[in-house]
Amino acid sequence: MFSSELLAQTLIAGVMIGVIYALMALGITFIYSIVKMINWAMGEFYMIGSFVQYALVVYLLGPDLWWVAAPLSAATVFLLGMVIEPILIKPMFTQGIERRDDYATVVTIALLLLLRNLATALGGPYQRNPGSDLPTVMIGPLPESGARFAAFLCTLLALALFYLLLKRTWLGLALRAAAQSRIGVETAGIDILRLDQVAFGIGVALAAIAGALLAPVFFVFPTNGVVTTVKGFEIIVIGGLGSIPGALVAGILLGVVESLGTAFISSPYQNAYGFLLVLLILLIRPSGLFGERVRQA
Amino acid sequence: MAALLETAGLSKRFGGLVATNGVDVAIAAGEIRGLIGPNGAGKTTLVNLLTGLYAPDAGDIRLAGESIAGLSPHRIARKGLLRSFQVTRLFGNLSLLDNLLLPYLARGSGAVAEGLARARHFLDLTRLAPLAEAPAKSLSGGQRALLQVVCGFMVPELKCYVLDEPFAGINPVIKDRIIELILADNAERGTTFLIVSHEMTVMRRLCPKITVMIEGRVIAEGTLEEVAARRDVVEAYLGKTLA
Amino acid sequence: MPQSRALAGALAVALTATAGIVAAKAADEVIIGLEIPLSPPGDPTAGQLIRRGGELAVEYVNTKMGGVAGGKKIALAVEDSQGRTEAGIAGYRRLATEEHAVGVTGFFHSSVNIAVNEVANEIGVPTIATQASAAEITAKHYDIAFRTHAIDPIRVEAFREFVKKKGFKRIAMVAETTDYGIGISDEMEQQTKAAGDKVELMKVTFDHATTDLTPQLLQVKAFKPDLVINIAVGQPLDLMIDQATTLGILPQTAMLISYDAPARPQYWKLHPQDGNGIYFIAYYSPKEKLSDLGDWLVKTYEEKYKEPPIYSSLNGFGDVMILAQAVDQAKSTDPKAVVKALETGTFKSWAAAPVTFPAAKGVYWHNWSPPILVIHYTKPNEDWRQAEVVLEHVGTAPQ
Ligand SMILES: Nc1ncnc2c1ncn2[C@@H]1O[C@H](COP(=O)(O)OP(=O)(O)O)[C@@H](O)[C@H]1O
Ligand SMILES: [Mg+2]
Repeated sequence: MFSSELLAQTLIAGVMIGVIYALMALGITFIYSIVKMINWAMGEFYMIGSFVQYALVVYLLGPDLWWVAAPLSAATVFLLGMVIEPILIKPMFTQGIERRDDYATVVTIALLLLLRNLATALGGPYQRNPGSDLPTVMIGPLPESGARFAAFLCTLLALALFYLLLKRTWLGLALRAAAQSRIGVETAGIDILRLDQVAFGIGVALAAIAGALLAPVFFVFPTNGVVTTVKGFEIIVIGGLGSIPGALVAGILLGVVESLGTAFISSPYQNAYGFLLVLLILLIRPSGLFGERVRQA
Repeated sequence: MAALLETAGLSKRFGGLVATNGVDVAIAAGEIRGLIGPNGAGKTTLVNLLTGLYAPDAGDIRLAGESIAGLSPHRIARKGLLRSFQVTRLFGNLSLLDNLLLPYLARGSGAVAEGLARARHFLDLTRLAPLAEAPAKSLSGGQRALLQVVCGFMVPELKCYVLDEPFAGINPVIKDRIIELILADNAERGTTFLIVSHEMTVMRRLCPKITVMIEGRVIAEGTLEEVAARRDVVEAYLGKTLA
Repeated sequence: MPQSRALAGALAVALTATAGIVAAKAADEVIIGLEIPLSPPGDPTAGQLIRRGGELAVEYVNTKMGGVAGGKKIALAVEDSQGRTEAGIAGYRRLATEEHAVGVTGFFHSSVNIAVNEVANEIGVPTIATQASAAEITAKHYDIAFRTHAIDPIRVEAFREFVKKKGFKRIAMVAETTDYGIGISDEMEQQTKAAGDKVELMKVTFDHATTDLTPQLLQVKAFKPDLVINIAVGQPLDLMIDQATTLGILPQTAMLISYDAPARPQYWKLHPQDGNGIYFIAYYSPKEKLSDLGDWLVKTYEEKYKEPPIYSSLNGFGDVMILAQAVDQAKSTDPKAVVKALETGTFKSWAAAPVTFPAAKGVYWHNWSPPILVIHYTKPNEDWRQAEVVLEHVGTAPQ
């Protein structure tokens, strides 16, 4: 059933979802690059972002002001991250913990369970939808729902802002330096523990923006972050852990491969194409497309 | 004259090994002190203790009369005690300018424009200016050593600068540039230095007084001639002549 | 020391977080296992609705009925199948061997139920499928396999009756690659062919954990169907409605949803605009007369949850009630005796008709099926209890 129109539509759909995937992975990779820990609870911050968005839109602002609600949701989750980090993550560095990877895994999985069960207890069994009044748009030959297209555009905006933060601000300079050497920034006079806290907040806020923007597309429920986490980790393996350009390229790659494979090879294996890509990368470049082993000069 | 940097009974052990063992040193304000000793003597460990990377098991460290033992590295840095690393620790993916800007801005005050001006001044001085926007990982070993030393000078509040083997394995031209930087800063700002090195000709030029460590202990202190005359020092270097 | 303290603290948090899942168990209680999807890729909404019914059954048995087998109280032990076979099997093992459940019910995902039955056939603790419809669950004629749900052949008969009644000619099935989705879509192909129905069938499948159905729906659109059968469970079902609308398939083309998800109160919140015009399968209409148990459930449920119960809760309630009655009739908590009681006894559930599990032919083995309805929403925000009932199909075992 091949046609050039179907090909164009499929490609566009792949890029659109891929950019959104990238945002999901960005937070995981960013936190890892600074704090050197994998946050398994990332999907739950996506979930909280979507719930805050839902609450703001439904009870306070209305669907037309979704674009006001989204940064507010991200800010809320940023603050939540700033509160959680000193309690759960900081002891990893201050309590003389030797097996930090194990500690981070246990602590963030505990956090995942806690947040998910809390949301189930508070949110009840049903999926929710904040609703969206945005009209369907045509992107070339592909009709796309207004909410999804808005999520795509806002993701690009969020990525651009994140890039500017890293490249143009003093905080960004400190974060980029810390990604290369924690001891280096400490002895230069930067409070690395404080930087960890901010980095954790920013990282979870990135997931929350995705959750907020996608609330009318993938809906709001206690376990909606699971897919995020799965895609996020696939992207990180493909792009390279700790690499921000890697997350972006791998996200789009994953979206396009899934989309093309589904349309032109066989539809039921949509999620298998991602895994195949992961396996392929592990075989030919275990550190990922953009992964670097040695980062210090 | 009161000591600017002073330790008392400073000890650090790693398992059964006592890397520094009851070290007492006092360095006067404005002094350039040398620290020598064979490999494994505990010099780097002492530097790590002074700058907060290790917490001492016993003893105290005072900077301008105030105890800094047990403070975190960034607090010590903000009190004006900075250091360089034996193995250079630059931020390889950052430009030379960003590498210099970082310690300047880390203090939490100071405008970016001033920091940039200061960084450009030092890049001119060290003739690294053409590479200002290049990533630090593109530098040669000697250039890295040079850039790392300059990072400390970027801090206006620098009081005491601890350099861990800044001259190891670099060519004489760059060595001279580093020496000039140290002497100029000492003359202009009265910065105190503690320099770890094996390069005796450099030590003679820079350091009126030298401390010798062996197996974690300070065993001698004096001019290079005085310590080189001591049998125990000479034996520790296994018969190598020092001067 | 600080490290182990921190780790212990983290574990404590994790345990408290999961504690709610396993109900506290007192000595001498009769344990009924409930294996339901509580997290993706399962359908957590279905799982929680079934659980609500099951919990109300416990309340009914312990207060109204005064316990079972001489006044013993019953309690639920809950396991999350996550809609995955491995998790389902592990959950069943725990329920059977650690909790000593007299029976395990709540099954929603067919794949889980099929896999569990293989293990159950060895361990011997009976299973009752609450809302899993794949033929294989009962077609294997395992002694321990029971079901109170519509099976594939009956559901597909209802599909075909609906297609005939509305005169549809080009039908696209969009099915998930689970035992449920494949079972139904294969059955539809077989029955259509065997009966010589004059329709063009097209089938496109997708992985249940998908986040984007655009590629599949683009193919459907190219086929230009007059009916799309939405054979998805949980979130992809909703995704399909939204994305089919975006791509311009809905509302021009009719869509039939293969189970009763649109009866859930969330439906109109998720699809305030594009939810109208949908047809869906349901197994229960409030217009029908219920048993006294059913009446008690509807009243108690509405008081507790401020919304009408739907089939998932009714059947979750019914199946726990059936297991409780089986223990009562067997006067024993021995799984063998319970299996025997299930085979021979007659039980009361929410529906007016009594429940039996005859050793009938084929997939009708140990199976009791509710009637199948096709319901049609004709205006936004319509209450499903008032919506048009397009047809009512009563499936019976062939003699
Ligand atoms: N982090 C450490 N863990 C264990 N032993 C160490 C550590 N750092 C240094 N040491 C040991 O302490 C002794 C002193 O080392 P160091 O201070 O690096 O000597 P120097 O700088 O004088 O060559 C050596 O025997 C070294 O192996
Ligand atoms: Mg050393």
